Amino acid sequence: MLKIQGLKKKFGNFEALSGLDMEVEEGALYGFVGPNGAGKTTAIRIITGLLKADEGTVMIGGKDALLYSEQVKNEFGYVPDEFGLYDNLKVWEYMDFFASCYGLSGLVARERCTKLLEQVKLAGKEEFFVDSLSRGMKQRLCLARAMIHDPKLLVLDEPTSGMDPRARIEFKELLKELCAEGKTIVVSSHILSELAQMCTDIGIIDAGKIVLSGNMGEILKKVNDSNPIRIQVVENVWEAVKFLRTEPEVQTITVEGNDIVVGFHGGKDAEAMLLAKLVAHNIGICGFWREPGDLESIFMQITDHDMEKVVMTSEE
Amino acid sequence: MKNNPVYKREMLVRSRSFRIPLIIMIFNGILAVVALLNMYQSIAQVKVSGSVRYENFLQLYAFVAALEFMLLMFIMPALTSASISGERERHTLELMFTTKIRPVEIVVGKLMSAFSQLMILVVSSLPILMLTFIYGSISSGDLMILLVSYVVGALYCGSLGIFASSLMKRSTFSNVITYGIMLVVVVGTYMLNVFLLNISETEISTMALNSGEMIPKASSGPSVYLLLLNPAIMFAELLENQVAGGGGNFTITKFLGDNGGNLITDHWVFCSLVIQAVLSVLFIWGAVFFLKPERSKKAGSFGKPTGTGRRS
Repeated sequence: MLKIQGLKKKFGNFEALSGLDMEVEEGALYGFVGPNGAGKTTAIRIITGLLKADEGTVMIGGKDALLYSEQVKNEFGYVPDEFGLYDNLKVWEYMDFFASCYGLSGLVARERCTKLLEQVKLAGKEEFFVDSLSRGMKQRLCLARAMIHDPKLLVLDEPTSGMDPRARIEFKELLKELCAEGKTIVVSSHILSELAQMCTDIGIIDAGKIVLSGNMGEILKKVNDSNPIRIQVVENVWEAVKFLRTEPEVQTITVEGNDIVVGFHGGKDAEAMLLAKLVAHNIGICGFWREPGDLESIFMQITDHDMEKVVMTSEE
Repeated sequence: MKNNPVYKREMLVRSRSFRIPLIIMIFNGILAVVALLNMYQSIAQVKVSGSVRYENFLQLYAFVAALEFMLLMFIMPALTSASISGERERHTLELMFTTKIRPVEIVVGKLMSAFSQLMILVVSSLPILMLTFIYGSISSGDLMILLVSYVVGALYCGSLGIFASSLMKRSTFSNVITYGIMLVVVVGTYMLNVFLLNISETEISTMALNSGEMIPKASSGPSVYLLLLNPAIMFAELLENQVAGGGGNFTITKFLGDNGGNLITDHWVFCSLVIQAVLSVLFIWGAVFFLKPERSKKAGSFGKPTGTGRRS
């Protein structure tokens, strides 16, 4: 649905995007994350035609968005981090205005507005002034506005910033519903736990480049392999430590009470072998598992420039 | 225009606002008070002298028309100079850029909605202006030309406001720039001519002392043509032609010296209206040019950036 290749953008001497490559499959809910200044908003502004790229291509629905920016406007809807509302309009007037901006009018526009307001749970609020809506409602109204022309792709820039937990959860559920209906959604956010729960795919951007991308489940699985192994020992902790020191795959050992956290470089077979050796040495083991990986740990590993980094790509 | 979404939205919001009836009431109130006081004075004079001075009613016409034109020149920039920068500040301009609406539709929609509001004022004030018809001396042709000058003057000031609004990121800057340019065009060009005329008069009086030959009339030189840009001078010239048949002391005649009598000076009002109309088109074109997404970002460098230029 969305394919970006070699996208570059400079602001003076600052290189905001340095060859961004990104691909979003149709029907995906793609989390676009990165630290501040990584180039998320610049990339989104280029995708939506608000900024010109210095180099590269952006394909939306198979069409070159940089060359044919007018033609692809029907293909995407954009929700910026700022609401972009007219406080002195009523909800239906706001929707009607943007419908006419896409050339929709009359009964078609009215039916579309009604359907979308129902979908975003704003039915019955048509006659309310936009100013009187809560922050969560305003954000849902923005989402409805972005879908007024029934685009296949939705691009959302930090949509849940400043929203309370309930509004965030409702918005997240709404995005999941839209994704289930077949919309492709690109959502940038700083709230990683939220993205981990709802996204099917993810791309982490750092210094203007995608440093990790792919299916969320696969990425978490890969990260699991590089996470430490936690071994719960019944007794004789130090004997176990003495043995572990002799094992070549063990990189680090941390003792936490009766738990030993082991930095271990090896696959499933090596893990099984280690467990078997421990048992063979008469060390009582009551627990042995890989620590689960999460999006935050991946993000920290990848974007913390002061630490030794694990850089993974989807091909790995 | 009926299909222009920006025009439709602006008219909807303006018609809902209490400001429109309030402006109409104040605007017509001022005009009515001035007109009725003038009429009262004229009739009081009739009671004392027993004779009707028809030029008093012409003065009433000139006074009301001039007051109306001045109010239009002040109101029109106020309606347009924050229109696009206001959209930018609300972050709604970017949203419009992502839709199918074209920059020219945004500019024309904004300008025409302000213009429509101005025309409501003009039309609503016509009965006051037509008080003069009770006693005659102004033809319907004169009134048509007056309306044309209102239309061109309003478009000129309005398109300047739209241009500044498109160029500036903040409404405050846009307002300041618009009224600053208006001041230069209206007061600046007039004062420049007054200054040059004074210098010319000084030089000529020195020449007169030194020789007994024929000396030329004092003039402000070629800078008099800068007054073609000045809507106030155009209007003053128009009124003088209508009321006094030309030759007054306020308008361009005194700046011309021996330079008059050419095509431009003989058709000053027409030439000035054409130039103002052409400049209006150029301002609208400029506004559209600076409104394109990438352009509007560059335009931000003139004002302090707001959130829209943020990168992450």
